Amino acid sequence: MLDLELTEDQRSLQNAAIEFARSRLECPDIARRDRDEEFHREGWRQCAEFGVLAMPVPETYGGLGHGPVDMIAAMEGLGYATRDQGLLFSINAHLWTNSIPILAYGTEEQKRKYLPRLSTGELIGANAASEPEAGSDIFSMRTRAERRGDCYVLNGAKTFVSNAPVAGLFVTYATINPSLGALGVTAFLVERDTPGLHVGRPMEKMGLRTSPMAEVVFDNCEIPLAQRLGREGRGVAVFESSMEWERGCILANCLGVMRRQLEECIGHVRARRQFGKPIGKFQSVANRIVDMKVRLETSRPMVYRIGRLKERNLPAMLEAAVAKLYVSDCYVKSCLDAIQIHGGYGYMTEQLIELELRNAVGSSLYSGTTEIQRNIIAAALRL
Amino acid sequence: MNEVKEDIRSYVLQEFLPGESPSNLQDDTPLRTSGILSSVATLQLITFLEEHYKIEVEAHETGVENFDSVADIAAFVVRKKEGRS
Ligand SMILES: Cc1cc2nc3c(=O)[nH]c(=O)nc-3n(C[C@H](O)[C@H](O)[C@H](O)COP(=O)(O)OP(=O)(O)OC[C@H]3O[C@@H](n4cnc5c(N)ncnc54)[C@H](O)[C@@H]3O)c2cc1C
Repeated sequence: MLDLELTEDQRSLQNAAIEFARSRLECPDIARRDRDEEFHREGWRQCAEFGVLAMPVPETYGGLGHGPVDMIAAMEGLGYATRDQGLLFSINAHLWTNSIPILAYGTEEQKRKYLPRLSTGELIGANAASEPEAGSDIFSMRTRAERRGDCYVLNGAKTFVSNAPVAGLFVTYATINPSLGALGVTAFLVERDTPGLHVGRPMEKMGLRTSPMAEVVFDNCEIPLAQRLGREGRGVAVFESSMEWERGCILANCLGVMRRQLEECIGHVRARRQFGKPIGKFQSVANRIVDMKVRLETSRPMVYRIGRLKERNLPAMLEAAVAKLYVSDCYVKSCLDAIQIHGGYGYMTEQLIELELRNAVGSSLYSGTTEIQRNIIAAALRL
Repeated sequence: MNEVKEDIRSYVLQEFLPGESPSNLQDDTPLRTSGILSSVATLQLITFLEEHYKIEVEAHETGVENFDSVADIAAFVVRKKEGRS
């Protein structure tokens, strides 16, 4: 079928990503790694070698300088061809909450210091924003950044920090004064070995278990002024821009999974026979496949639209929220359909479909819950 | 000053008070302390002011003393433009 979303070059890039993931990210032991919550370090290294981590970073800073649509095409390909969605989730967290904000808001010195190492994967990035008492209401955060001479002193606790157990750099949000609300939030680049930064116990998740997560505590953690990312009191802009990218690009992986699932389900309903015929001949089974196809076809343009807007440097907050809300819902529904189509086998861990459902459920929570996406859309419509 | 007030008034009406009668937004209508402007909304307004008037607002200047009414905000913008703040 003609793919209207991609140019010839983007199609080649996507095919290269598929080939790469098939040959290098093959994971016959994914069920065990999922059980053991094992981060695939070798897979991370291979992804870096393939260039995924360097893609959105300009060549000047050691990257490959690809645009957002290229990025989405590659991410869709990776999502299609590997079952290690946890690894891809870690890559997304690294790119959209570290590389991109540093590129957009970093000083020249910060860009030169961090972007090359983030691009080679030598340095893994994490995003320390959520707090036990500040989740959806993120800008009510309590982690304090107190200015003392030419330093800021950070005190507070962060939770749900993806990549924390393996990260070398934490883009951290703290407030210079909680009474200022969003106007006090400021972003910082905090290196792992900074005295006063403690990575807490790993947090065990339902899905995306190969992407490690932990709490992070700042206890009188001194950060030089030069490590502030962006202006004082303007952390919200840094945070919002990284969320806009993350919402768009993480969904590209989901598109890939939905496409693979659809193909696998079609294969299954043709091959599996009951009552003397392939189960795809039963209309209620076929309808599930039809619904999966419709969800994929309606989701795809939404995700690529975010890329096209970002390519033109246009705001995509509304479009990213619409896509996040819709695609995450489609993703979960398609995983449930895939289980139903496979019958009892779909419920067995060996088939790995339940693994994909567990991964999919996270998409309605991370990067802003479904309810928060609705609030963003309502606000954009000035309701 | 009046022109600055008008710019601010139209922006606030358009972005944060859709459907509201313009006559309900007076120069001294409280914006922050009444909850019309949240801190996120104030940040959006500040970003608009910075771009529109080519000024730079420091974090410590964003409190209610400068941002609670159209009149306060306009006075602050004028002081900034004149380099007095
Ligand atoms: C897999 C995964 C990875 C994550 N990675 C990171 C990370 O790397 N860094 C990081 O900082 N955070 C991360 N998070 C945290 C994530 O951003 C938060 O879980 C999310 O923002 C919701 O916050 P909360 O969990 O505190 O839920 P709450 O905010 O307590 O929400 C609970 C429920 O109330 C609803 N709700 C809350 N407020 C409203 C409202 N105003 N209107 C309507 N409904 C509302 C929510 O939608 C939700 O259903 C991750 C989360 C997950 C699941």
